[in-house]
Amino acid sequence: MSGVERKSLLAGGTRTRLVHAGPTEASEAVVFVHGNPGSADDWVGLAGAAAKAGKRAVAFDLPDFGETIAPAGFEHDVPGYAGFVNAARTELGIERVHLVLHDFGGPIGLVWAAMHPDAVASVTLINTGLLPGYRWHILARIWRAPVLGELFQATATRRSFRFLLNRKEPRGLPREFVEAMYDHYDRRTRRAVLALYRATDDPGGMSEALVQLFAERQVPALVIWGEHDAYLPWSFAERQRDAFPAAEVHVLPASGHWPFADAPETVERLLTEFLAGSGGEASF
Amino acid sequence: MPSTDSHSPIIGDRPAYDAVIVGASLAGCATAIGLGRAGLRVAVVEKQPDPKAYKRMCSHFIQASGVPAIERLGLLEPMEAAGAVRPRMHMWTKWGWIQAPPERAVRGVDLRREILDPMVRAAAAETPGVEMMLGWSAERLLRDGGNFAGVVTRNREGEERELRGRLTIGADGRDSRVAELSEVPVKTFPHNRIAYGGYFEGPLPRHFPDGLIWFLDPHWAAAFPTDSELTFYAAMPTKERLPEFKADPEAALVKFLGNVPEPPPIRESRAIEPVIGKIDMTNRMRKPVAPGLALIGDAALATDPLFGVGCGWAFQSAEWLAQSILPALQGDELLEQGLERYRRRHRRELRGHAFFIHDYATGRRMSPAERLIFSAAARDARSAELMEAFGTRQIRPEQMMPRALPRALAVNARHALAR
Repeated sequence: MSGVERKSLLAGGTRTRLVHAGPTEASEAVVFVHGNPGSADDWVGLAGAAAKAGKRAVAFDLPDFGETIAPAGFEHDVPGYAGFVNAARTELGIERVHLVLHDFGGPIGLVWAAMHPDAVASVTLINTGLLPGYRWHILARIWRAPVLGELFQATATRRSFRFLLNRKEPRGLPREFVEAMYDHYDRRTRRAVLALYRATDDPGGMSEALVQLFAERQVPALVIWGEHDAYLPWSFAERQRDAFPAAEVHVLPASGHWPFADAPETVERLLTEFLAGSGGEASF
Repeated sequence: MPSTDSHSPIIGDRPAYDAVIVGASLAGCATAIGLGRAGLRVAVVEKQPDPKAYKRMCSHFIQASGVPAIERLGLLEPMEAAGAVRPRMHMWTKWGWIQAPPERAVRGVDLRREILDPMVRAAAAETPGVEMMLGWSAERLLRDGGNFAGVVTRNREGEERELRGRLTIGADGRDSRVAELSEVPVKTFPHNRIAYGGYFEGPLPRHFPDGLIWFLDPHWAAAFPTDSELTFYAAMPTKERLPEFKADPEAALVKFLGNVPEPPPIRESRAIEPVIGKIDMTNRMRKPVAPGLALIGDAALATDPLFGVGCGWAFQSAEWLAQSILPALQGDELLEQGLERYRRRHRRELRGHAFFIHDYATGRRMSPAERLIFSAAARDARSAELMEAFGTRQIRPEQMMPRALPRALAVNARHALAR
């Protein structure tokens, strides 16, 4: 993707991979937070699109995802990762943030936003968000189970990983996307996944408090949800309006859990149009 | 439009009409034209007084299967002169586009009902022997012994007229009053999708004038170009999507079609009239005959609009009925023989299609066999041709399956090995 640079960034004691596009020094930026399993690579296309729309765009590996190693003592839980997001954006000199979140990047990014509401310019939720009443999907329940989770991770081969990821994807995911994801799914990441899920007992637990906080602040929001998501049901898409009453909600009828991979043009269009219309004018 | 007030319900002891048709839409008028041209006397009763009345909730798409019947009625040329387009079909599936080779693909015909309905009605009214009674609705059915023998009609002023006919024909649509009064057996099949659509002006979809369909499994969307460079955009999602469509039909339609893969240019287009929707589309399959009575079009089989078969089947069933009963109405055989011939024809041509359509109308996802056939059609030209012939109702399921299934197995096996 032209205009997208890859760098490294030291933030909070973690040296992470950085995907960067657009004006380097801008204090307002689109910050992408990936999910599980994911990495900064997930966002290369969208970062380029955001840059073309005139925005600074940054994406980074969360510690122990992608090719990034967490420092000793890193807490693999939502507050720990939210702290890392804050360290990264501080290091990058970003004061106003257009959050773009996917999957587990949702709780991480939203907790960060709740801790730094004045820095939030807008929120884009891609198959994630506040999940009141949500019960973990089957894979998460396996990961959360002692022994079973370790056994599952230890026996995950490239073939089984490919099968599981594509199992309920309506169009199938691009081969290179899945292969790159597995390449990053090393022992360190597998352990981090177990720790993160085990530290998150109730994925919808904080919803009520966050709903109130965001709703009061009228945060501009875009919600994109692949309708065939096997992990996070699309019925949560409309419910994001509880927290973001003016949210623009798009349920993509032929997409699954990774719309930016199976419908990249659509997601790029929706995101760039949204960013163009929410140019840092949030009412904080 | 010529019409007449000179009704003579009984001529001696003989019914005044050979056929009394209730409903002056596509099927009723097509039957009237067929019978009138054969020298028979036909009354057509229509509750709408306006000769320009038309069916609003319709995609207007006429599958290729219906085109020969339209041509035989002499309507194809006038339709084309009025701006009708002749589309082929392109179907998006998650395996890719299904497109029959252009030189082999058959073409349907698309003309807005706003133009088509008055045109067909005028053609019927101008046919010798056809009397058009607009503004009259069917109140009761007349009986002669065990046979139906015409209808009692009433106009908006409350005046009633008795129209006796040797054959009574219900062409009054999905909620047929004639079917209800005659108490013919009916089977219903649930429908779990909603339908919203409307005409837009703006950039033409690619492959114009061809129709584009998205099988989003379980949802469905379409772009059907038509006359005047307009495009009918339609969405048929399952009922879970109803709240957003109810809240703002046009915005929901634009968003839905704007977010399908390889979307049509609906976001750059403008609706020329309000987007309208239909929520209850319960499929109804009625026995198409009773003593002295026949049902045609939606009155006989009101099926899922998703497959765009309603208009075509209206013309086709009208033709089947006219052909079947002509010998009887001309005195060469008993009426029940002609009706039985029509029943068998209707059943043979449509029952298999209806079975598959009703099954899919539940809003379910594709079955493994369907996935096999659709995926093969996206990968193989011959399979696409078969799928297209089936989808445009050129061939019946029992003609398609024995050819399509083995080929689909082979195509997909080759595809798997090549990966």
